[in-house]
Amino acid sequence: MKYTAYLTVACAALLAGCGGSDTFDRSSQIGPDPVLPEAKQYLIPPFKVAKVIGWEKGETPKAPAGFEVKAFGRDLGGPRQILPLENGDVLVVETKGPGLESPLRPKDFVMGWAMSMAHGSGGGKAPPTNQITLLRDADGDGDPEMRSVLVDDLFSPFGIVYADGTLYVANTDAIVTYPFTPGQTRITAKPRLLTKLPGGPIDHHWTKDLALSPDGTKLFASVGSNSNITENGKEAEKGRAAIWEVDRETGAAREYATGLRNPNGLTFYPGTDTLWTVVNERDELGPNLVPDYMTSVQPGGFYGWPYSYYGQHVDPRVRPQRPDLVAKAIKPDYALSSHVAPLGLAFYSGGSFPTAYAGGAFIGEHGSWDRTHFNGYKVAFVPFTGGKPSGKAQDFLTGFLTGEGSTHGRPVGVAVDRTGALLVADDVGNTVWRVTAKS
Amino acid sequence: MNHSTNGRSGHSRRVAITVFGHPVFPVLASIPLVCFAGALLTDVVYAQAPNMQWTNFSAWLITAGLVFALFATIVGVIDFFRNARGLLAIAHILLVLGAYVIELFNIFVHSRDAYTSVVPTGLTLSIIAVVLLIVGNWLGASLRYRHAQGVVA
Repeated sequence: MKYTAYLTVACAALLAGCGGSDTFDRSSQIGPDPVLPEAKQYLIPPFKVAKVIGWEKGETPKAPAGFEVKAFGRDLGGPRQILPLENGDVLVVETKGPGLESPLRPKDFVMGWAMSMAHGSGGGKAPPTNQITLLRDADGDGDPEMRSVLVDDLFSPFGIVYADGTLYVANTDAIVTYPFTPGQTRITAKPRLLTKLPGGPIDHHWTKDLALSPDGTKLFASVGSNSNITENGKEAEKGRAAIWEVDRETGAAREYATGLRNPNGLTFYPGTDTLWTVVNERDELGPNLVPDYMTSVQPGGFYGWPYSYYGQHVDPRVRPQRPDLVAKAIKPDYALSSHVAPLGLAFYSGGSFPTAYAGGAFIGEHGSWDRTHFNGYKVAFVPFTGGKPSGKAQDFLTGFLTGEGSTHGRPVGVAVDRTGALLVADDVGNTVWRVTAKS
Repeated sequence: MNHSTNGRSGHSRRVAITVFGHPVFPVLASIPLVCFAGALLTDVVYAQAPNMQWTNFSAWLITAGLVFALFATIVGVIDFFRNARGLLAIAHILLVLGAYVIELFNIFVHSRDAYTSVVPTGLTLSIIAVVLLIVGNWLGASLRYRHAQGVVA
């Protein structure tokens, strides 16, 4: 079934005390010093999700002039993360939420129904998911010659790392390892548990991303919070809203940085020991609060959640308050605008894009639901100089939204393949896109 | 369910929706009061010790109260318009319906996340609504009692 209509539950402007038009300058929330309006609480918070209609044959997202966009893989089951290998094989993590969050309040029933609109497939039979599909493009022409399910029966996987004959996969409740030799098209070995991660019960933010330290000894795993703003209780947040450092050999883990509400896109800046992440900030303080962000991660750093945001802006919804923690909360490096929902991050280390892109960040923005003007639903590009953001974010891959309240797809993970092309996982569009520079 | 009269005196016959001869409205109207008073209690506990289970209790109690408030409103409004509308009757229905409307706002406030789902707005609305409803239900009981005694309101 294809409804082109969007859903809006924000019709109760009367109850909400008249929502008014959103004249806020969104670009003022991009960069190191975002404008932060007063926090506002609603009777019915703004809500608008894009109905997913999928892609017809021949339709693609749009890249800037000088680039070409082609589907690299279609009919995938919720592709969210991509790992290109040296030999031209591309591993695509297909996943879906674990569905462990049972309704706790009357609100949860309403929200569950409304959110299902944003994650439905374009129709027809849903392709298999919770697996990793291998797409082989040995000749590098962007048209895979072979496709194989590398490993299946995963549990809401997201992060994926390959190192020295081992494939590391972050299921929502654990990092597991498989023996793997590039070139292999099917893994039959049983998974080995490396480290348990906070999964259920609840498992509100369920995507666990992975990165490998430059020296190859440590894995870094992102663990999102178990609520918007502690409404599921403090006990549910143990070990969450954090980036974990995990020893690759022993699986011993510790919290590397905390106060990061829902971090994803863990990536070391090429040639440095600096870990970067993109973070989904809190909801229901208004359409323009709180901006999501990209930041370098300081070891032992605390980034505010749940007590405060952007340094010392205290969130009134959290009790008990912790002025001691608020005082040491680090202001993140670079705001990406409110509710764009960044889930993917890749620094451009390839050689085929124009030099302006060298070292810059591509960010997969899954798109907003809690504001009346859509935000995100695109891949953004932030230029970097000397390992630091050095300019305004630009739209790189757009055309996901139809302009009629619906969307073809939603971008998540981004990666640069060995030819320097950008790969973009589009989870509800069930597609991996490949963007190449026209020669 | 049928429509009948109660009250003994000929000159103050009060018409009400009844089941087995007993008016329906007082029974229905007692349920929201119990629910909203319970929510007020769990709101107070949450304000003292902000453990999320208490505000979850409040949200469910307010929801349950509102469901029965809807039925009570339907029956109450019909009863109201089928009888003489004295000052007491008007005060009664305004207080009761006013409390219900306040609780309708209150469930949205209670659907916020964490502390501000209760403090200060949610708790304030709970207090106001319960006070209005106690007085309103009191006036309603008083109204029926006077009719039963043959005194016109």
